Amino acid sequence: MPAFERAELTAELKVLTSGEDGLRGEIEAAKTAAGETGLAHEAGPETMVLAGGRREVLDAATRVVEAALDAGASGVELKIEAQGDAPRFGPT
Amino acid sequence: MTSGVPIGVPAGAMPPAPTRERPRSPVQRPGRVGEESARIDGVPKVRGEFEYSSDLWMDGMLHGATLRSPHPHANIRRMDTSEAEEMAGVHAVLTHEDVPGRKVYGMEIPDQPVLAWERVRYQGEPVAVVAADHPETARRALEKIRVEYEVLDPVTSAEEAMREDAPKLHLSGNVLRRVKVLHGQPAGATAEVVVAGEYEVGMQDQAFLGPESGLAVPDGRGGVDLHISTQWLHIDRDQVAESLGLAPDEVRLTLSGVGGAFGGREDLSMQIHSCMLALETGRPVRMVYNREESFYGHVHRHPCKMRFEHGATRDGKLVYVRAGLVFDGGAYASSSNAVCLNAATFACGPYDVPHAQIESHMLYTNNPPCGAMRGFGAVQACFAHESQMDRLAGALGMDPIDLRLKNAIEPGMRFPFGQEVPHPAPVREILKKVKDVPMPEEQELAGRDPRELPGGVSNVTRGEGVKRGVGYAVGFKNIGFSAGFDDYSTARVTLAVEGGEPLVRVHTAAAEVGQGLVTLQAQIARTELGVERVAVEPADTRVGSAGSTSASRQSYVTGAAVEGACAAIREHLFERVREELGGNGDLSLDGDEVLSEGRVIVSLVDLLGDEEIEETLEYHHKETHPLDENGQGDAHLQFAFAAHRAVVEVDTELGLVRVVEIATAQDVGKIMNPQALEGQIEGGIAQGLGLALMEEIQVKSGKVQNASFTDYLLPTILDMPSVRMEILELADPEAPYGLKGVGEPPTISSTPAIVAALRDATGQPLTRIPVRPEQMVGISSKPPEEPPHPGSAGYAEIGRLDERPEH
Repeated sequence: MPAFERAELTAELKVLTSGEDGLRGEIEAAKTAAGETGLAHEAGPETMVLAGGRREVLDAATRVVEAALDAGASGVELKIEAQGDAPRFGPT
Repeated sequence: MTSGVPIGVPAGAMPPAPTRERPRSPVQRPGRVGEESARIDGVPKVRGEFEYSSDLWMDGMLHGATLRSPHPHANIRRMDTSEAEEMAGVHAVLTHEDVPGRKVYGMEIPDQPVLAWERVRYQGEPVAVVAADHPETARRALEKIRVEYEVLDPVTSAEEAMREDAPKLHLSGNVLRRVKVLHGQPAGATAEVVVAGEYEVGMQDQAFLGPESGLAVPDGRGGVDLHISTQWLHIDRDQVAESLGLAPDEVRLTLSGVGGAFGGREDLSMQIHSCMLALETGRPVRMVYNREESFYGHVHRHPCKMRFEHGATRDGKLVYVRAGLVFDGGAYASSSNAVCLNAATFACGPYDVPHAQIESHMLYTNNPPCGAMRGFGAVQACFAHESQMDRLAGALGMDPIDLRLKNAIEPGMRFPFGQEVPHPAPVREILKKVKDVPMPEEQELAGRDPRELPGGVSNVTRGEGVKRGVGYAVGFKNIGFSAGFDDYSTARVTLAVEGGEPLVRVHTAAAEVGQGLVTLQAQIARTELGVERVAVEPADTRVGSAGSTSASRQSYVTGAAVEGACAAIREHLFERVREELGGNGDLSLDGDEVLSEGRVIVSLVDLLGDEEIEETLEYHHKETHPLDENGQGDAHLQFAFAAHRAVVEVDTELGLVRVVEIATAQDVGKIMNPQALEGQIEGGIAQGLGLALMEEIQVKSGKVQNASFTDYLLPTILDMPSVRMEILELADPEAPYGLKGVGEPPTISSTPAIVAALRDATGQPLTRIPVRPEQMVGISSKPPEEPPHPGSAGYAEIGRLDERPEH
């Protein structure tokens, strides 16, 4: 029952690595940074989701991107979705 | 990781997948609202002719199966599917790498992997799925998938999860939600009489009889049709589409026969898996869980530990309540947020409490995920607050009913979470009603049929130690979705002449899960349009969302949508009559005719001719609001109240119980269908009885010990007492027909009433449910640390999941 207020903003971040198997330092750095924001859940081997208020999610996303880049990631794919824009539960 | 066709079969040789016909919508001749109306699905169900989702079949379909983690907490080091892929008859073997879209799902928080990638967080977590030409082939293929696990210590309790040194199960830690309710000045509140108690609720299962099942059919254009038993088609569709990487309109869901739900079908089980397999193979894929797998395939009721302190004046007026509730949410979020909110807002019970301090915590652990179940959040809190009221009555030397009457909340007061108590809130009335129900006569023990002793024929005494006990409880529950959620339902209603008679067709996406909604929708159409023949179309996603069949909300929300759509058609008809026949008198519809001031002026057959009138209405209930940081706010839509009195007999030497009778009084606003209401009340009480006496998933070190209906005990007809009902119809002025949701209240206070009766009979404190025989005879206040080893039924062939060798 989705009675709980939905997050105002959701940011999905996918860390792009150098492509070599086993080099997961960039991802771990990003996950650690994401975890410290208190807003994060894993969404795949290289992907995490931040959910919360607009300002806190944007600030947290910045910190995660910086942590990933500092650790050597070649890039971070970022998808941000506002609650009001999410096409949920409507007629087809 | 996949092979689209079995070994040795050229891809081009596969026949094209047939399409599945849309289910029929049989014509009903229902009664009007308030009249006894037989369920259209009743006879087929008792005859065994009803098609449940596990009965779905298509020629050429494949069979899906799921590989699950045997460990509650482990890292996945390596996975090798090659041997399974090479098996004859295997068409696809899929892992997380094959999830085309979002790799996680979740109704409130998308934190649950479709298929685990690096880590498993509970025993039974899906790791891989297989499609094969026979269920046995699929099962054997699972055994050929090699998974190398690094087993980790599981976090097995909420208390352990709260510790600072506990392993973090999710990126941001183990606290899933915390809700605080502060009301009045609780910090400085003192009282003349204070009672404190600690209470515990075990993990109950929804125990629906129809296991998780569904059939996914690829449409040949990249999309998929899914026939599924669920509680909310649209939230399923949206989650499935996200994980498949498809647009929502490329995923179409149709409700198939649902064999019970009770909250356990709100989350996804095999929905995404079956669609992935169907799209991969280009063939229909059916997945049906067996009973053991069903225990791993859905969420359960949250176990909870609670500490309560009540302060009161010497004459029995409540001064304050302080409470801390700690819930074990298991590995993933599911609807834990709402459970945590409900528990915090209902912790004080339906009483006037001047000062309150409530803290409700929800934790992630490595136990099975917990989520929605009938009365969720309110059930756990009610057991504690009603136990406390009895304890307080004992300390005050007061009658427990008098104490409750003295403190009963009334319309115009404020709940501790700040919301004004709406009218009606008949707490006093239902308590008085249930007290006034005549007590059942005591039955002589001498010469009694042994089947009527506590424990039935298992009772080896002559009943020398049998004592009778009586207990009362009252509870309440929010109806509908809360805390700011835009809760709505959509109804499309059509009126036309078919077969020479008017026929109303009602189309919604509302899930009939056994509660009688299909009949109710027909009753509403019959009432509003005066047309005797009504067909309720199969629920699917071709129409807008109806929301979930949960929170006792469908009669209210979908009922209002159907009523509104019918009213729009009625107005359309009246406009036609006024235009074509003139007159401004009061028009009405009855008996397939239009009447003016009671006189027939035209039949609907003549008025409609070949025309079809269609109206679609989206009904949104009034706005609710999130709680603020102090847990204050108009969070809930409607409140439903029920009271119960239990009369039990306990063999105090053996700890065996017979519930003699349950009396209940419930305010339902309006009786929509007496037969359906009776069924809801009796069924809810059965589930409440189960929680009081026997129903518990035994979890040890994160592993389920009793995943079968042999070892998970359920009440049967032999355990059910007679139920005496006092129904109040105090209309809610804001609800359609004045109705109130009725599904959950019977479950909420029946449990504490039974436990109160057990205490009355035994004199034992009984602070944990389900109550065990050893607690009743005073050997132990809690179940043994080492639960009894379950029987071998169901495991003989394949071995218990927790004892199977690692793959």
